[in-house]
Amino acid sequence: MSRARAWTIERGAVAYPAALEELPDPPPVIHGVGDRRALADLEHEATVTIVGSRRATAYGLRMAEELGRDLAYAGVTVVSGLAYGIDAAAHRGAIAGGGPTVAVLGGGPDVVYPPSHRGLHRQVLACGAAISEHPPGTETTKWSFPARNRIMAALAKMTIIVEAAEPSGSLITAQRATELHRDVGAVPGQVGMRVAGGPHALIRDGAALIRGAQDVLDEMLGIGRVSVSHSGPRLEAALLSVLESVERGADTPDAVATAAEIDPHEAAVALGRLELLGYVAVNGAGAYSRTSLSAPGV
Amino acid sequence: MRVTVPSPAPSVASVLASVQTFEILGVEAHEVSVEVDVGRGLPCFSLVGLPDAAVRESRERVRAALLNSGFDFPQERITASLAPADLRKAGPGLDLAIAAALLAASGQLSPEALDGVALSGELALDGGIRPVAGALAMAERARRAGARALVVANPNSAEAALSGATVIGVTRLEELRALGTDDEPAAAQPLHISTNGAGPSLLDLADLRGQPALRRALEVAAAGGHSLLMIGPPGAGKSMAARRLPSLLPPLTPPEAIEVVRVAGACGQPLRTASVGVRPFRAPHHTISAAGLVGGGNPPRAGEATLAHRGVLFLDELPEYRRDAIEALRQPLEDGRVLIARARHAIELPCNFQLVAAANPCPCGHGEESPSCRCPTLSIRRYQTKLTGALADRIDLSLHVKQPEAAALRGPPGERSATVRERVLEARDRQHCRLGGRCNAEMSSRETREHCRLDAEAQALLDSGQGQFGLSGRGYERVLRVARTLADLAGRDRIEADELSAAVAMRRRAPV
Repeated sequence: MSRARAWTIERGAVAYPAALEELPDPPPVIHGVGDRRALADLEHEATVTIVGSRRATAYGLRMAEELGRDLAYAGVTVVSGLAYGIDAAAHRGAIAGGGPTVAVLGGGPDVVYPPSHRGLHRQVLACGAAISEHPPGTETTKWSFPARNRIMAALAKMTIIVEAAEPSGSLITAQRATELHRDVGAVPGQVGMRVAGGPHALIRDGAALIRGAQDVLDEMLGIGRVSVSHSGPRLEAALLSVLESVERGADTPDAVATAAEIDPHEAAVALGRLELLGYVAVNGAGAYSRTSLSAPGV
Repeated sequence: MRVTVPSPAPSVASVLASVQTFEILGVEAHEVSVEVDVGRGLPCFSLVGLPDAAVRESRERVRAALLNSGFDFPQERITASLAPADLRKAGPGLDLAIAAALLAASGQLSPEALDGVALSGELALDGGIRPVAGALAMAERARRAGARALVVANPNSAEAALSGATVIGVTRLEELRALGTDDEPAAAQPLHISTNGAGPSLLDLADLRGQPALRRALEVAAAGGHSLLMIGPPGAGKSMAARRLPSLLPPLTPPEAIEVVRVAGACGQPLRTASVGVRPFRAPHHTISAAGLVGGGNPPRAGEATLAHRGVLFLDELPEYRRDAIEALRQPLEDGRVLIARARHAIELPCNFQLVAAANPCPCGHGEESPSCRCPTLSIRRYQTKLTGALADRIDLSLHVKQPEAAALRGPPGERSATVRERVLEARDRQHCRLGGRCNAEMSSRETREHCRLDAEAQALLDSGQGQFGLSGRGYERVLRVARTLADLAGRDRIEADELSAAVAMRRRAPV
């Protein structure tokens, strides 16, 4: 449990987020720890909820982290649930982008679930807040999550699903957002992957297709109002061909060597260099993949 | 040895003799002197000085051995004392010394025969002498203590002679009669140390087909003495690769080879004469306890880490090891030795090994992202925390291995160990000149700063990326040390951008 001082915002108070009033059953009191202003000054129009699978792929985690980072950098508040996987990645990204970020918890705002996210919880408090409709100290229960999801959906103008299997809690959040007439966005994945099923179903049903923070900002604020795109340094032809082979699915030095028809040692060198420059990233299973950093044209 | 007749009352016909022997504690031999007093009284044979059960039973062996080799067993009151009295004596290695002291005290061996001689051996009931553990450590100790010769069982003699001490091998108790006379057996010849380090039993890297990245990682690990972690599904060749690492390592120097024999001998490992000079390779099963891995128990014994001294310690299925066992490896990895302290004594064990570990990507082995993986999220996390824990900080090279494609398996064999080893030796030579006989993995922070200079392009490349990586100070130094090894392999003085990039690609990454 965190030592941070808890605060409350009651329904009817000026600081109570107006967006929550649109819920059929608005929480009577919001308990929070961390920076009270993160909630009191929350602008519904500039708030995004990012949720997704607890068991995400490296691609999903990277997308969530980049979204969190770029959106926070553009001044958007990132709301999520502090769970394993996508939630944690979105918070981390938002913290890296300078926050603010709000974690909506199932138990008391100081009861960290999963417990191993204590460190992340502390970081969230440093640049935002953790909130809940339950008083501090309340244990997390299995049935408190769906109720928590409705608060996440209500707070944000747009709810983005990064990866989610069907059926799942993330899809419930998306459904709640639709019921509240909020925007829903989904990050596409690879066809056939279980965790891509949820987002693909959402996109088919009319959710916005999200490829990066720019798509979110365009959707929320209108096309071209705010720009966050950035590109990396120029690459030599050899590195470009390695980058292309990564884009085509070669994910280890040996596979890249075969695909780009170069020496395996050179492939390792090239991948290391591309990683240093930020064009590729490696997941915990050692697979290389492309980041969203775009290469300048040749 | 001394034989003294206590002076005050000649009527008390008690005769005293004392003989040097040794007791092994950890990997060191400690001096023990055996004093035997034969005097009047009811015939009995008592043994004092903290003997354990095996030592207490030595009375029966000594009695039978004496009688069966044509000596008399005195029908008098015999007291044998093992000094120092506060050191626990274990094992049967004291038999020979007790028998010798008893023979001297009862006037059956001349005092000159045992003068300046230390003895160690186990007795058989028929008077034969059996080998004991730790003969080389005892011989080194005997030499330092200024003994004229060490008498051991014949099978121990070649090992003990590596110490440079005069070692006399005997097979039967009655041969003690020849000591100090013209019939004394010649000093034993020391074992031959293979100087190229390539024992006949070493596996060859040519067996590993395909897998260029894995081969390269082994070469770099061998060249810089770097610790290596391989993560990949079963059947990817992780164990196969690890078992071939000793064939790439430089040979042991003669003093190192002697040290390895001494440690293995003191730990009771059977001596394989064919492999003296070959680096040890130890692969303990993952059910091993912390004490089994780094040493422990009471009295403390050396563990696998010590047996892997100057060689390779291979931990297959790293996350399956007990947490306390993995944690216990921290100090040895940092310091190259481990201190085991017990109430009675503290021993220091050498364990300067190269760590090679292998792990599956998740408990089922398929990998979290594979469609056939059905591991629960929590068990994957628990599995991976073991990989991120204390040990991960001390791993230089990390590599993800995939199952090789069928085409590669059918293809021609890869480079042979001998070819790769030549490059490794050249790279080691460069390091030895720079670091005074040590390798890159052993560089301190200060040495890393001094020797791992980046050229301008490499520095610019690193500056462009470090922010996004979150390389910790330690992680950064590890990357630099690996880059240094890569530069040594390429024969360069400075680290260029290519080496830096390759080192970044091989670095240890935290799983998500």
